[in-house]
Amino acid sequence: MGSVVTYVGLSLVLFAIGAVGVCIRRNAIVVFMCIEMMLNAVNLAFVAFSKLQGNLDGQVAVFFVMVIAAAESAIGLAIIIALFRNLVSVETTDAAQLKW
Amino acid sequence: MSFMGFVLSAVAVASALGVVFNRNPLYSAFHLIVNLLAMAGVYSVLDAHFLAVTQVVVYAGAIMVLVLFVLMLLNLKAGSGRKLGIFRPLCAIAVACSVVTTVYPAVESNFKDLSLHELQEKAWRSEGTVKAVGEELYGRYVRQFELSSLVLLIGIVGAVTLSKRKEGKIGPREGGLGGGK
Repeated sequence: MGSVVTYVGLSLVLFAIGAVGVCIRRNAIVVFMCIEMMLNAVNLAFVAFSKLQGNLDGQVAVFFVMVIAAAESAIGLAIIIALFRNLVSVETTDAAQLKW
Repeated sequence: MSFMGFVLSAVAVASALGVVFNRNPLYSAFHLIVNLLAMAGVYSVLDAHFLAVTQVVVYAGAIMVLVLFVLMLLNLKAGSGRKLGIFRPLCAIAVACSVVTTVYPAVESNFKDLSLHELQEKAWRSEGTVKAVGEELYGRYVRQFELSSLVLLIGIVGAVTLSKRKEGKIGPREGGLGGGK
């Protein structure tokens, strides 16, 4: 059992690194890339569990996550471009109009 | 864990750290490409061949080209040089610790007593060839598969609507600051 659970551990480490990136980076594009990395970490956990369970449901779930990630990346980058057009910056700290 | 799996995991973790701690967003993007390719390798080590190919084509290909294209379009400089402060790194460490301590014990306790023989028997049934995954997608998951095309359509329309320039508005490059501020 050791090997597959190690991959779950790898996915956990990658998810944590991605979460740290979302917290400490201010560039919206880097934050976006860290979110992609977290999605990938979850995909790896799905694949590892699919192997543990002995069926393909996890891999089908990964396929749907990839579809959503593709749509998300198109819209996310469009939002970043719109942000840049309005603020001439993609720093998340500059987009603080709604901050109290 | 096989030798190949170990090497690919090490590459994935190293490049993930590279994404987070590089000051230049362009280098972050290149590290992310390495990370995604290593993950594709890990998928194929785990016998998910279809997903490995999809990962290379969709993530490392299409999505990263889009990201690099936007980076090129915006022409950003490396890090703004403002200090991070103490709050954000503390927050980040707390998040990382809570993720690991929440998930790992659950995984550990659930799969500790799974026999190797049982696992071997299950492993060959979960080989994700194109045929096997395709049969699942067009069989039990056909409705979700069709709905995902709708999601992609909405994504296309949303992206076009968001990035469309309004008539008669001066963009930042023509000497105005646009709206905002």
